[in-house]
Amino acid sequence: MSEFLGPLDPQGRVPPYQQTRVAAFLTSAHGALARQFAFALPAKLVSAWQTELNAQVYHEAEIVSLLLRATSWVPDLALGYLSMSWETAWFPQPAEGIPDQPLARAVGLATLAHAVHAGIRPAALLPREANADDPFVMALRRIELESGRLLQAQILFLKGPELLAHRDAVSAALEHRHVEIRKLWTSALEGVGIVVHES
Amino acid sequence: MPFLSHGSYRIRYELDGPANAPAYVLVNGLTQYAELWAAYREALVARQFRVATFDLLGQGVSDKPALFISQDDQVAALHLLVDALGDGPIFLAGISFGGLISLRYAIEHGERLAGLAPMSCFAELPPQLFLLGNALRTALILGGTSYLQDLLLPMNVSDQWLGPVLDKLDSVKRQGWLVNDVYALQNLMESFLDFRPLTSQLSSIILPTMILNGEFDFLTPRAVHETLRAEIPNSALVIIQRAYHAFTLEKPALTADLLARFAEDVLAGRWQGNKAVWIAPEETGGELIAFPAGYDHLRAIPVQGPAT
Repeated sequence: MSEFLGPLDPQGRVPPYQQTRVAAFLTSAHGALARQFAFALPAKLVSAWQTELNAQVYHEAEIVSLLLRATSWVPDLALGYLSMSWETAWFPQPAEGIPDQPLARAVGLATLAHAVHAGIRPAALLPREANADDPFVMALRRIELESGRLLQAQILFLKGPELLAHRDAVSAALEHRHVEIRKLWTSALEGVGIVVHES
Repeated sequence: MPFLSHGSYRIRYELDGPANAPAYVLVNGLTQYAELWAAYREALVARQFRVATFDLLGQGVSDKPALFISQDDQVAALHLLVDALGDGPIFLAGISFGGLISLRYAIEHGERLAGLAPMSCFAELPPQLFLLGNALRTALILGGTSYLQDLLLPMNVSDQWLGPVLDKLDSVKRQGWLVNDVYALQNLMESFLDFRPLTSQLSSIILPTMILNGEFDFLTPRAVHETLRAEIPNSALVIIQRAYHAFTLEKPALTADLLARFAEDVLAGRWQGNKAVWIAPEETGGELIAFPAGYDHLRAIPVQGPAT
């Protein structure tokens, strides 16, 4: 087990079976976010903040598109049951303790997005000698950078005045989502020889 | 790797040196982690101190709360570590963000300490520091940890330090980038959003205090250290020559020696703060030089100070 992807091939590329597992997880997570943001996006924007919702939809879709094209895909028999467990985990989870159901659903989606954008750091898996010109390597770096930017919408919402009265409920829902997503990410990587340090 | 528990969160710490010796607790700056004190552990343990280092909440191997990290929680975590050290003399030194946490700790629990060493530290956010802090937070948001490091490095260390590593900066930044997460750093920075100046409370710090400030520190310049010197009764300001904000990284031998000498002076009853201003030696072990009488230590040119 290693904390980094590899061993790399002589060209500094990540082994295809690791690329496949990492990309499958990220595609599943960001694909779910794209779908859920798209579902929440009205056909006609009525508030300024919804412009950010529009941006989130397309950035998530961009990440999926990028992974589909940058990854050297190979068959991975474990993906069948892994994908099912991932897709189940992305199901909407309205935050407990918030009586306003539309608000609780929005918090649920924001906690999922926060956990994926903040808690999953694919570029941190790359060893120092990974080839910077390889598309998969570049994709992981781009996804991590983009996630840090996308995260701002979730931070602004979850720390915002609308949720001040629900701070404990928000914190509890978010910590729960972080633990849940980190566990999925950790177990997905364990199967391809990667150990993620818990903090 | 031992941990302390603060509520549901774990704080990673390390203790080195003899258990019954006077202790030094070292508090990290914003983007730092406990391993960066390795040279201090070695130097201070060799001088017969016990050394406690830890990762603040949101840093390194300590837990990283997902959304909210308050400075009160950091002080509480530090209090747990100090409690774990027993009843012997304890000296507290913190750099930058860690210096601020140390100041807050000394205000709330000064009776637990034998001495305090705030380094590159501030008690309030004057406009330049406030705007720089906001800009650094925006840099983190837009460019990630790596961009924040790029901005901090030239503020933190000198050309002499940067020159030889200029072609391998990615390696220099890598460990800090690996152990620090954007959201956790952002939470740490946003713990300043409801920051209230500590200036009016500084006079309650009656313990011996050595304030360390880099000569060329333009992130937290002399004026913000002057507030500490003017308000803390038993303090002295020591200017580290040719140093920038993170002189603890660039001059570990010199800084560890100054910390050890400060604690030895306090323990021997020799320390006299007197709100004096000193210039640190350039070489480890050299003599401190009194700032020339009559000149203004807040200026960068030798201008006569106000008559006292």
